[in-house]
Amino acid sequence: MSETVLEVKDLCKYFDVKRAGKGSQKVMAVDGISFEVKKGETFGLVGESGCGKSTLGRTILKIYEPTKGQILFEGNDITNISKKKMLPYRKKLQMIFQDPYASLNPRFTVGEIIEEPMVIHHMYSEEERKKRVQELLEIVGLKPDHIRRYPHEFSGGQRQRIGIARTLALDPDFIVCDEPISALDVSIQAQVINLLEEIQREKQISYLFIAHDLGMVKHISHRIGVMYLGHMVEIGNANDVYKNPLHPYSKALLSAEPIPDPKVAREKKRILLEGEIPSPINPPAGCPFHTRCPYAMEECSTASPASYELEGRKVACFLYSPRYLKQRENLAIEPLLAGR
Amino acid sequence: MSLLEINHLTTSFSTPQGTVRAVRDVSYHVDEGEVLGIVGESGSGKSVGMLTLMGLLAENGKVEEGKILFDGKDISPSGMNTRKEKQEYEKKMQEIRGREIGMIFQDPMTFLNPILKIGTQLTEGIRKHEKCSKGEAREKAVSLMKQVGIPSPEKRLEQYPFEFSGGMRQRIIIAAALACDPKLIIADEPTTALDVTVQAQILELLKKLTKERGTSVIMITHDLGVVATMCDRIAIMYAGKIVEEGTTDEIFYNPKHPYTMGLLNSINNSSKEDDEPLVPIPGTPPDLLKLPKGCAFMSRCPYTMKICEVQMPPMSRYSETHCCHCWLECKDEKYITVDKESGEAADE
Repeated sequence: MSETVLEVKDLCKYFDVKRAGKGSQKVMAVDGISFEVKKGETFGLVGESGCGKSTLGRTILKIYEPTKGQILFEGNDITNISKKKMLPYRKKLQMIFQDPYASLNPRFTVGEIIEEPMVIHHMYSEEERKKRVQELLEIVGLKPDHIRRYPHEFSGGQRQRIGIARTLALDPDFIVCDEPISALDVSIQAQVINLLEEIQREKQISYLFIAHDLGMVKHISHRIGVMYLGHMVEIGNANDVYKNPLHPYSKALLSAEPIPDPKVAREKKRILLEGEIPSPINPPAGCPFHTRCPYAMEECSTASPASYELEGRKVACFLYSPRYLKQRENLAIEPLLAGR
Repeated sequence: MSLLEINHLTTSFSTPQGTVRAVRDVSYHVDEGEVLGIVGESGSGKSVGMLTLMGLLAENGKVEEGKILFDGKDISPSGMNTRKEKQEYEKKMQEIRGREIGMIFQDPMTFLNPILKIGTQLTEGIRKHEKCSKGEAREKAVSLMKQVGIPSPEKRLEQYPFEFSGGMRQRIIIAAALACDPKLIIADEPTTALDVTVQAQILELLKKLTKERGTSVIMITHDLGVVATMCDRIAIMYAGKIVEEGTTDEIFYNPKHPYTMGLLNSINNSSKEDDEPLVPIPGTPPDLLKLPKGCAFMSRCPYTMKICEVQMPPMSRYSETHCCHCWLECKDEKYITVDKESGEAADE
């Protein structure tokens, strides 16, 4: 788990929008994000809709052209290389999609769907490909005779398995899982999560796991990044972040999760955030969260906080700047580091 | 006395492939001021049950059987044959819908009419059910908007649904549902379309407003986290039947039905210290067109016995509130009415 597979440095993705009367504006979907994913590791990405988690996942795979920043895959810069040079990396960087209904071609049989990526990349002979399709079906827990059936004959959970088999066909090293379980029923979600974990143990694949179900993200992830309005506000070990979130937004987000345990739920104190997530077209100056933050100070609205390292975590908040930490020691302000 | 009592409700839909019985012999009750959670996967019949109760079934839907008592009145939709009976029922339901039973739907965008101002939509219900002038209705709408936490309500009433965010739209729907002070609110997946922080706001709001008014709530959801936070009692549905019913604590800490246990094992709960492995329920929910004669959960149950295949499990009761339908919990052989050799029911 020491080798870094993917490194993202200061990545930005802005989209141009044209609106009548307002000219051209920029949506800052991803704004200055840095993190790395190690081999065999699952990096969970949480945040509300519109915070840029899916855009980040897609920009890393270069489905979107990054505006600024760097993407390093196994040490090689893939940010601005040509499509042709990108081809070999496409095999190694794959994606599992959210909607198992929209992501499979309804006119292809399951066999054709799983075989297609190998055909595109000219991998194996035809015979070997057929054999491989059978192997993949077995890995994801489908029956060999499913090969001739069409996607509409399967349930949501089974379709997600087909999608996973297609992704695995190229033997990727890194998979972006974009909400792979949110379209599935509760009793099926655990099946897919267990399958993903099993595959990871066997093949040492790294995942970037995007989801809004906080409980599931915690379960599958080794490390977690919390996103807000295109910024990464906190990165840390999954258990640490859940037990003791540091950034005020992480605190609010995690306290809002409905916990399926009545006794815990009754005692739990919720931090209810006021208002709603601002528009990424005109994001607030300074810290993106200062408009809703209960701890906002003067400098939050003017300067953007850097990422401060603290107890092996990275937090982008002035409350954890060395200067402020010192000040707090002197003044004995409420212990922000205490658990939730 | 219970506010709502549903007895042996069965609803079916005729489809080209055959008759689908989406709700099968469902009985439950809701007490005054109580929050009942109905939990189930998609296709388990939880929403169809509510639509039957409100008399909002689609054309091909039919109520085969069942009695519904609301606040002492009989509002059963079954056994209507003549056109006149149907018209009378429809008239009765129009008085009840919105006024006595309010509904909150999952998707705020399909509930609100996109080409009418919010103010028009909010006052419409008030004007219909209460004798009041336009001005009074508007005043009431303003105070409702304030109660659900929408800033500058006078200005917002003049706006259209697209000018509101998802969370704000859901607040408007809550306001509309509460407009005539109903005795019961049916919330069908009210927060599924929302983000967690907004979900927390909306649940908190719903809890506060219904507590203040003593309104009963039926909360339909698949999210066990939401029921744990909101509900007093829970009914678990599987393939159109209630398999277990009990208080929130009974269901979470003393589940009896294998499906309930399976559901609780297959979710992760971030308050747990260590990551215990998830234990999924194998297989997929059954096809409602081809239900087995016995227990519908049979094909996925780790404890299936021979009897499960041929006969519906009887109800076992543990306390006044807690009951479950499973052969495992049945301690008495007298309930078995099937002939051992042939496997056919003797008295059917």
